[in-house]
Amino acid sequence: MNTLILGGLAVGIIFGFALQRGRFCMNSAFRDIITLEDFTLLKSVGAAILVSMLGFTIMSQTGAITLNPKPLFWGANMVGGFIFGIGMVLAGGCASGITYRVGEGMVGSLVAVIGLATAGTLTAMGFLKPIKDFLQSSTKIVESEGVNMTLANWLGLPHATVAYSIIALAVILWWALGLKNEDIRLGNKSWTKRIFKSSWNWWATGVVIGIVEMIAYISSALAGRNYPLGITAGWITIVKVGLPGVEASMNWVAWLVIGIIAGAAIAALIADEFKIRVPKGGVLLQIFIGSLLMGFGAVTSGGCNVTHILSGIPMLSLGSLLGGLFIVLGAWVTAWWMFVRPMQS
Amino acid sequence: MTDETTITKTVDVRGEICPYPDMKTMVALKKMKQGEVLEVLMDYPLSIERIPRSLKKKKHNLLSVVQIEGPDHRLLIEAYGLK
Repeated sequence: MNTLILGGLAVGIIFGFALQRGRFCMNSAFRDIITLEDFTLLKSVGAAILVSMLGFTIMSQTGAITLNPKPLFWGANMVGGFIFGIGMVLAGGCASGITYRVGEGMVGSLVAVIGLATAGTLTAMGFLKPIKDFLQSSTKIVESEGVNMTLANWLGLPHATVAYSIIALAVILWWALGLKNEDIRLGNKSWTKRIFKSSWNWWATGVVIGIVEMIAYISSALAGRNYPLGITAGWITIVKVGLPGVEASMNWVAWLVIGIIAGAAIAALIADEFKIRVPKGGVLLQIFIGSLLMGFGAVTSGGCNVTHILSGIPMLSLGSLLGGLFIVLGAWVTAWWMFVRPMQS
Repeated sequence: MTDETTITKTVDVRGEICPYPDMKTMVALKKMKQGEVLEVLMDYPLSIERIPRSLKKKKHNLLSVVQIEGPDHRLLIEAYGLK
C-alpha cells in the first residue's frame, strides 16, 4: 500500500474537526439566504474560496502544485448541479455536511451518505452511467487539446491576474460594504475554549478551511491524485472496495472521508455535542431520496459542492463555476418550494 | 427557571434535520400573540446558534437558552406578535 494515501486520513481529521466547529455546511449557506435571511455561513464559504484561491495561485506560481481545473461540459454541469442542489435540500446537508454529521451521531446523515454513495456508484459505473456519459460527451468544450476551460484562459488573461483581481475586488467590496456591520472581535475567551468548546466564527472557519484546502492539495498530489478536497469520489471508492468482483483499493480521497467522520466525532465529543439522533420515518425517506439525487447529480456534473465550489472555483474552472451556480439554483428552487412557500400561506 | 414564566406552547424539534428546527420554531412564533412564551427543545448545534439571529430579525425576545444534557437545549422565547 502507498502510505502517502494516509495523508488523506490526516487531512480529513483536521477538515472534519473544522467542519464541526464551524457548522460549515453549504446547504445551509445557500438555503439560509432565502429561508432565514441569514448570511453567516455564506460568508464562511466566501472566505474559504478566497483563501484557497490565493493559496492555490501562489502555490502554482512557486511550482508547489500544478493546477488541475475540472473540465467544462455545460449540459452535464447544469443538469447534474441542479439535481444535486435539489437533493441536498431534501437530504438536509451538502456532501461535506452529511459526512461530518455522521461523526456527530446523526443517523439521518448516515442514511444520506449511503444514498449518495449508492447513486454515485450507479452513475459512475452502473445503469445510470450512459446518461452521465451522454450529457458529458455531447456538451464538452475544451480550451485546447488536454487544457480545460477556466475563467482566465476564456478571457485570454494570465491565471494569476484573474485570481488576484477577484480576491482584491472581493476584499475591497467587503471592506466598503460589509465591515461596518461586522463584529469580528475574538472576545476574551481562552484559546482552548475558543478552539474546542465554542463554535468558530464565520471568518475563522473560512480561513481554516482555505488552509486545509492548500494542505490537501499537496498531500493528495504526493499520493498521486492531483486535486484538493472532494467527497463523493471518496464514498464511491469505499463502495467499490466493498463490492465483490470489483477491483478497487482505498485511495487518498477515500481515507479523507473516513478522516472527516473521525475529526467531526472528536470535535463533537470534546464539545459535548455528540448524540445519536434518529429522525422520523418519513423524514428518513425524504433524506434518502435527496441523497440519491445528490449522488447522481455529483457524478454527472463532475463534482459535488466540495469538488466544484470549494476546490474548483478557486482554480477558476468554468465547469466548476457553472456546476456550482446550478447547485445553488437547485437548492433555492427547492428551499423556496419546501420552506418559504408554506410559510407565506 | 420557569417559576415566573408561563409557557404557552412547546415545540420539540429534537432529532430533526436542518432546517426544520428553525422553521418550526419560526412558524410557531408567527401564530402566537405578543408576550406569549414558546418553549423549544432542540439538539441541533447549528440551529441553537442560528435561532438567536433569526429571532432578532423578527423582533422576538429570546428569554433563555439552557443546556439540558449534551447537545440538548431548552430555549424560551417571548413572541413579538404580529397579529
